[in-house]
Amino acid sequence: MGRFFTFIGEVSSFGLKALVDAFWPPFEWEFFVTQIEEIGWRSLPLILSAGFALGVVLSMHTRGTLVQFGAEALIPSLQSASFFNELGPLITALLVAGRVGAGIGAGIANMRVTEQIDAIESLSVDSFKMLVVTRIVACVLILPMLTLFMDFASIAGGFLAEYLASHISLQLYLDRAFKTVEWANFIPPTLKTSVFGFIIGTVSGFFGYTTDEGSDGVQRAATNSVVLSSLLIILADVVLVKAIFFLFPRNAV
Amino acid sequence: MNEPATVEFEHVFKTFGNRKVLDDVSFKISEGEALCIMGRSGTGKSTSLRLMIGLLKPDSGRVCIGSEDIVHSSEKDLSRVRRHIGFLFQSAALLDSFTLGDNLALPLRRLDKSKSPSEIKRAVDETLERVGLDLDVAKMPSELSGGMRKRAGLARALVLHPKLLLVDEPSSGLDRITASEIDDLLLQVKKEYRATLVIVTHDVRGARRVGDRIAVLDQGRLIGFGTATELDKSDHEIVRRLVSES
Repeated sequence: MGRFFTFIGEVSSFGLKALVDAFWPPFEWEFFVTQIEEIGWRSLPLILSAGFALGVVLSMHTRGTLVQFGAEALIPSLQSASFFNELGPLITALLVAGRVGAGIGAGIANMRVTEQIDAIESLSVDSFKMLVVTRIVACVLILPMLTLFMDFASIAGGFLAEYLASHISLQLYLDRAFKTVEWANFIPPTLKTSVFGFIIGTVSGFFGYTTDEGSDGVQRAATNSVVLSSLLIILADVVLVKAIFFLFPRNAV
Repeated sequence: MNEPATVEFEHVFKTFGNRKVLDDVSFKISEGEALCIMGRSGTGKSTSLRLMIGLLKPDSGRVCIGSEDIVHSSEKDLSRVRRHIGFLFQSAALLDSFTLGDNLALPLRRLDKSKSPSEIKRAVDETLERVGLDLDVAKMPSELSGGMRKRAGLARALVLHPKLLLVDEPSSGLDRITASEIDDLLLQVKKEYRATLVIVTHDVRGARRVGDRIAVLDQGRLIGFGTATELDKSDHEIVRRLVSES
């Protein structure tokens, strides 16, 4: 139990240091832009295809039930509410934790065991800022944008499934999908993914940066990054949903 | 750091957990001298190099580069000292997401802010030409052979014209001919840059060829320090066996 709390303390102070360093010059712009491309741009195909496929699947599942009650007109709004409020942010974060978390953990750990971090430090460059802070900030900024892509890809997938089933027009589908959507139940859930991004960047960066066990350490850093990031994202989601309900009571209705 | 690039260890102790890696080690290396550090694996050779560039701090004792005690110096002062130190890592430690040219440009961009992009490019090209890699500037480290990586790592260590060059096992993983080529480059650097060299090596032939003096570490203690000829007559059997060519 003591080791668990020590570990939690270490990860927390690691994240806190990254948070402070993110606002403290010098800023590693060049490496930050590289990470935006790596984490954001290269995750986009996965996010779009997953969002589209999930949109199709959710639409097919809900149709079967709602048709029995003559409520198939609710399918678009159910689709948008599900994705904008919960599925979009959570699935985006879990997918990014899998793709990017493993990459960050293994990438930084590999740099540690091949002395690349020592080489950076020997040039008096702050390797923590260059390798960890840039990745965390990129994750924080890019997650809400990827969530938007996930949300809209799922709407596209939902429309396709509905069009094939009932030949609904795009205009009508979008009208129904966005009729019940308000800024208050769209913006907060999207922005909460910044917290998920912080979790992914911090946890993966921690396992990668602190490894000292050779090639086994690289593998362990990748695995631990994904497992712990995913778990913490789900736990944080519970807290964040509660916080959103508290701050925006209409979302809870 | 305009004073001589001397290196001095004064009663240096270093432990990792319960393991004593350096145990009261003291020695001094003069300007322009090449010192080879030898010893069995895990006796503190690479740790000594890392202490010399401030990547590690000793538990106690002083490590002086010139007149600067880098153990107790500020980050700013340490950065100023590092501007004059080159480090060739055992694995070359080229940043694998950078091209060879960018690997060499990094120290220039970070530690020599006075250079324009065209001056940086010229310095990179000149240094790569010196180690015979001028046609490989756009290659990624993964595209280079072991010997080429070593030479590339050496080029990065040399790009700032260091007064002190630290070299960690330059011949490890290389065939004898390539290792000898690396030794030739080190001798050339010593002569042309008048740099002080500290080389950690297991290669006796290379150590006797490049080193003016040899330090022998065993279980964290300095058990031999002198020229190869002096160490051949050492009372310590481990010293004689380590520096013997036969």
